[in-house]
Amino acid sequence: MEFFQYDFIQRALLAGLITGIVCPLIGSFVVVRRQSLIGDGLGHIAFAGVTGGYMVGLYPVVGALILTIAGAVGIELVRRRHIAFADMGLAIFFYAGAAMAIIFSTMTRMPSTGLLSFLFGSIITVSLTDVITIAGAGTLVLLIVYFLFDKLMLMSLDEDIANVAGINTGMINMLFSILTALVVVVGMTIVGILLVSALMIVPVATAHLLRVGFKATMGWAVIFSMLSVFIGLTSSFYLDIAPGGTIVMTAILFYIIMTIIRQCIAFKERLKEQISSSFGDE
Amino acid sequence: MCEVKLFDIHFSYNTNVAIDNISLTISQGDFVAVVGPNGAGKSTMLKIIAGLIKPTRGQVQIGGKDIFTAKGHGLIGYVPQNYGKNVQGFPATVKEVVALGLTLGAAAAKKKAANHITNHMMELVGVENLRDRRIGELSGGQQQRVMVAMALAANPQLLLLDEPTSGIDYEASARIYELLGTLNKNLGITIVMVSHDIEKAVSWANKVACINRKLCFFGSSKEFDGTHAQSRHLWYYTGQ
Repeated sequence: MEFFQYDFIQRALLAGLITGIVCPLIGSFVVVRRQSLIGDGLGHIAFAGVTGGYMVGLYPVVGALILTIAGAVGIELVRRRHIAFADMGLAIFFYAGAAMAIIFSTMTRMPSTGLLSFLFGSIITVSLTDVITIAGAGTLVLLIVYFLFDKLMLMSLDEDIANVAGINTGMINMLFSILTALVVVVGMTIVGILLVSALMIVPVATAHLLRVGFKATMGWAVIFSMLSVFIGLTSSFYLDIAPGGTIVMTAILFYIIMTIIRQCIAFKERLKEQISSSFGDE
Repeated sequence: MCEVKLFDIHFSYNTNVAIDNISLTISQGDFVAVVGPNGAGKSTMLKIIAGLIKPTRGQVQIGGKDIFTAKGHGLIGYVPQNYGKNVQGFPATVKEVVALGLTLGAAAAKKKAANHITNHMMELVGVENLRDRRIGELSGGQQQRVMVAMALAANPQLLLLDEPTSGIDYEASARIYELLGTLNKNLGITIVMVSHDIEKAVSWANKVACINRKLCFFGSSKEFDGTHAQSRHLWYYTGQ
């Protein structure tokens, strides 16, 4: 196929598929921890990091990484101190990120094409350095999730139980926030800052509709996510549009299809029940 | 040996005293019901015993060790009161949740043994037929049994439960008490349970701690139910 012959497509696919794996892995925990908007908050901070990094002469991804991790640590510290108003703390970081991004981008006069590729994602700007960075960060995320899986799952269910069991919940929560920041930076290259959070949440929401266990939900979320990335990148190449939108719209399409299937199954079950009860009455 | 000792425990939220100079000893194999009116500090006391809250003054010892040294070896199983908000919509099956309890233990069990323990715990609390159902889809009573099974999977010597029957219908709560009674008698697990249901709790427990910030009564449930029947309600409602 012509599509696979281009070097930039191969790089974009590789980076996209790694993103497609790690986003829902972290997203599965983010959703059950009721922190679905954390990706958006960190995405805006990442944008400030990109523009800030450009301003001081840093590689934009490195700038994003530094500021996003700092933001994640800040969000976690605020969440610990004000647990009842954790979402308010997140909102403040969200706005601070957006505000800093606006200030830095007007100060640096970063080329608009560069800005747009970070905002909406790009398949032509993925460099080999990006692929190596994404692969390294992705491997780190996979390893940490593998080794901390049970602890993360238990803490998502109830932090007090984990605490009584002697698990250092403070340390793991902090590590999880940093991992989330890492995934946002990994995802922003392909999907774009504005929609990276969607790839953490939408495939997980689709997998939830299957009503299977935690590990199976996670597995299905990765499958939906990778399919969305592949279909979205292919469409974006042929339609000549930014990949972020096509990837996320594909993921949302999967969600809509799964919702319809779920509704049909529920309707069929209700109908079956009604028929059996009416026969039972007779 | 899992003796629980509270030495002069005092705890206050800012200037509000929640627990005032409570000292008591819970022996190995005791089933203690902690009763008292709303806001008496029952849940706070349980959290202090569990090592979730550091008392302003005093010390908790489990098996002769300070709680902050003792916790984390699978010694204590804890079933909190407000797990429900997390459980709703949680996509894990009953089997996955019970298996999580193995991570609470002192050493991780091998896969084959882990499966065996998980199955055994589900049978013990009577949820084996629900193993593939998601925990969020179960009734309150069934969820409570699953949480107890998870706590038991770590083979704890001390089980702490905060209002295990709150929001559960009469029949389901009777089954929870029966289960706790069996665990206490047959397995010798020390149980400390906070409860509003004073009649039921006292009928299953062998000891009662009635608190209203201070310790109003600590002794056998028979004594609480008989000799002190006259003053029971006075303690319960006024702490006098």
